[in-house]
Amino acid sequence: MRAGSPALALTVLALPFLAWTLIALVPPLRRAGRVAGLLGIAAMGAAFIVAALAWLGAAPRTAAEHPAVTWTWIPADAGAMATVGVLVDEVALAMLLLVTLVSLLVQVYSLAYMADEPGPSLGRYYAYHSLFAFSMLGLVLAPGFLQMFVFWELVGLCSYLLIGFWYDRPSAARAAVKAFWITKLGDLGFITGIVMLWGATGTFDFGELFRLAGQGALAIEGLGTIMFLVYLGAVGKSAQFPLHVWLPDAMEGPTPVSALIHAATMVTAGVFMVVRAFPLFALVPDLLVLIAWVGAVTALLAATMACVESDVKRVLAYSTVSQLGYMMAAAGAGAAAAAFAHLLTHGVFKALLFLGAGVVIHVFHTNDMFRMGGLWRRAPWVGGAFGVGTLALAGIPPLPGFYSKEAVLGGVLEAGLTWPFVLLALTAFLTAFYMTRAVVLVFFARPHAGPAAGHGHDHGLHVPALMDGVCRLLALITIGLGGWMTVQALRGHGDAHAPGWLMALSLGLAVGGIALGWSAYQRGVPDPRRLAGVIPLSLIGAAARRGYGLDALYAGLYRAALLGFSRVIGWLDRYVVDGILNALSAWTLRAGDVLRRLQTGLAQDYLYGVALGVLVLLIWAQWGAS
Amino acid sequence: MPLNAYLTLAALVFAIGLFGVLTRRNAVGILLGIELMLNAVNINLVAFARFHGDVTGLVFALFTIAITVAEVAVGLAIVIVIFRVRRTVEADHLDLLRG
Amino acid sequence: MTAETVGFWGIAVVLLASSLAVVLTPNLFHAVLYLAVSLVATGIVFLLLEAPFLFGVQLLLYAGGVVTIVVFAIMLTERLVGETIRQTNRWVINGAVLSAAVLAGVIGFLLRGETPAARAAWPEDSTAAVGLALVGPYAVTFQLLGVLLVAALLGALYFARTDD
Repeated sequence: MRAGSPALALTVLALPFLAWTLIALVPPLRRAGRVAGLLGIAAMGAAFIVAALAWLGAAPRTAAEHPAVTWTWIPADAGAMATVGVLVDEVALAMLLLVTLVSLLVQVYSLAYMADEPGPSLGRYYAYHSLFAFSMLGLVLAPGFLQMFVFWELVGLCSYLLIGFWYDRPSAARAAVKAFWITKLGDLGFITGIVMLWGATGTFDFGELFRLAGQGALAIEGLGTIMFLVYLGAVGKSAQFPLHVWLPDAMEGPTPVSALIHAATMVTAGVFMVVRAFPLFALVPDLLVLIAWVGAVTALLAATMACVESDVKRVLAYSTVSQLGYMMAAAGAGAAAAAFAHLLTHGVFKALLFLGAGVVIHVFHTNDMFRMGGLWRRAPWVGGAFGVGTLALAGIPPLPGFYSKEAVLGGVLEAGLTWPFVLLALTAFLTAFYMTRAVVLVFFARPHAGPAAGHGHDHGLHVPALMDGVCRLLALITIGLGGWMTVQALRGHGDAHAPGWLMALSLGLAVGGIALGWSAYQRGVPDPRRLAGVIPLSLIGAAARRGYGLDALYAGLYRAALLGFSRVIGWLDRYVVDGILNALSAWTLRAGDVLRRLQTGLAQDYLYGVALGVLVLLIWAQWGAS
Repeated sequence: MPLNAYLTLAALVFAIGLFGVLTRRNAVGILLGIELMLNAVNINLVAFARFHGDVTGLVFALFTIAITVAEVAVGLAIVIVIFRVRRTVEADHLDLLRG
Repeated sequence: MTAETVGFWGIAVVLLASSLAVVLTPNLFHAVLYLAVSLVATGIVFLLLEAPFLFGVQLLLYAGGVVTIVVFAIMLTERLVGETIRQTNRWVINGAVLSAAVLAGVIGFLLRGETPAARAAWPEDSTAAVGLALVGPYAVTFQLLGVLLVAALLGALYFARTDD
């Protein structure tokens, strides 16, 4: 158990914030796109160094100590109502490293990938990147639910801004709004749960809450509901079924953004939150079982959808959803450490895969895998990097994916959740299969046309050095991480109570998936089309292609609810509100017409009025006086 | 006769004058009705003055008469002008202020 | 039956009859003449109330002046081509009802009020008393009255002018 220095953590937090402020508030800086980019990269690089220093300089602490530093935000009579600060434990330190590293690499990569963007647009891009880094770091360092929620929303905002970066594309704009809406649904549950928890305990602070949980003071009515609502936030943010539909569409954003936000960092915030607040979730065992089940189902469903995708980024997106399911399943099984480990490893190799896909897309000028092929011969380094990522994702030792995936499976098995285990095992097989399919289609299949086509001229493929370099670096990091984990496992530091056959099973599933994918798509044995025609695979495939009807369901509900509501309001507006106004005005006009007849212009008629008035006065004086 | 008798007489003349004002078609006829009403008022004033022993009522009545004369003069002048302009003094036809 | 009572009843009948005639006669000239009768009858009522000065003023100004003016006005506003100045009344019932209602209201007030039954002390020479009052407490009002009459005169002159 280690704790880091709050001062260093604050520095890490402040650096991207500074970059964001400068780029946002100094128009000349923003308009000069590359300069803004360099500033962002410099800030991020410095932040990474400070994060590494914090990691290396972390001091040991006891389990009872809660290494948080807070300041009062909303004062109240009985202690502060809300606090802000930093909580720098080992989980936070690890996340700091991950976020700053991947952000740095992605920003460097973006200099090359987004080189065609006009200056002001590029400046806007880097401003958003810096804001995102700041938000994610603030989320990770949050010592309480309230600060976490604030940064949660900020991160969601950055996601919206970056998905819809090319806002003049209608599909991008729609995808951004969809992402925002769906995650907002989850966030509603999140904030409700947080506030209810505060209502019951009077605090948002994690340390306080964990202490209360330890003392058994949190056995309150409705804790299950509260924690379920809090979990809903994670369902939305981490794309669990059924709120996963926004993640594939979020691929409308630039690929580096997908790598950073929708693979390594933002989507993992949900898992991070569950891991962070695990002592609270542990008080509701039924909820944990639900989380595990939802995670397992998400994993399998997403894997099936990845098998029928033709867009390379969408394959990776579904893969991310699937892996997020893995992480949540582990958390639900009580193996929070395994979940977090998989979060970290997945962050690294998924970012690698996405950036590699970015290179592929850059080369082929299309996302459609069936229009690619034969890239291996032309750009073997790219193929190598992408291959490393694929093997890591499939779970081949000594790469890190193998160890973290095995930890997840072990945790689920140990918790006695057999059916989720089966689902996850099947998912592991499918993961290896669809990734191999993707690799074969992109790198090894016979190219139909395009830059990698062999017929005719043989001009060299130009892969920008920065993109290539970052991919190679990430591949090396992946291999290095895998090596470190292998060493740890050999020394026996790993999970000692996983059954021996588990390792063999996970390895077998991975190899089997790769083999099937290779033979089906490279050799044509069995022919993929005939394989897909076999019942029940054809039915599953058809359903998967339609996203299991979820998108249609949401669209229908949304349309029905919104349009229905607006029709009701429209009717009310037209007939009730306008009706009242029209009636009032009509009555006024009619009253005016009637009263106008009093104005005859004849003096005698007015004298009648006078006489009547006198009469009334007489009567009133008589009766009033008596 | 007690005071009430005079007051009743005045009230009757007033009512008759009011009737004339309300029903006469000719503008001059309306003015005649007004004359009757003012007359009734004068009777009232003098009767009260006599029965209360205060000469103020007589002075008031005198003033009323003087003002009435002025009013009749101006009023009839207006009627004559209207006749010159519109060739009629029938009250029913003088409705230019009609809304 | 005192003389005053007999006189009162007689003059009351005359006054009421002539007033009714004023408002009911179709012929406007006749109405003016009846008005003159009622004005004289009112003067006599003043006499009965021991206000001789006012009797004189009534005859001079009202019966003399006002009636003359009205006659002139009638002559000037009717087409004098042998057409009798006939007219009918409008909305007689409504007017009668309203007038009767007002009458009832006023009488109602009369009946509930407390009025002195007997006449109070009266100066021997009421005219002198009126004169003293006019130059005494009511001097300003008297002067204002003069101003009013001048204004009325000017107004009437202005209205009556011809446009040349």
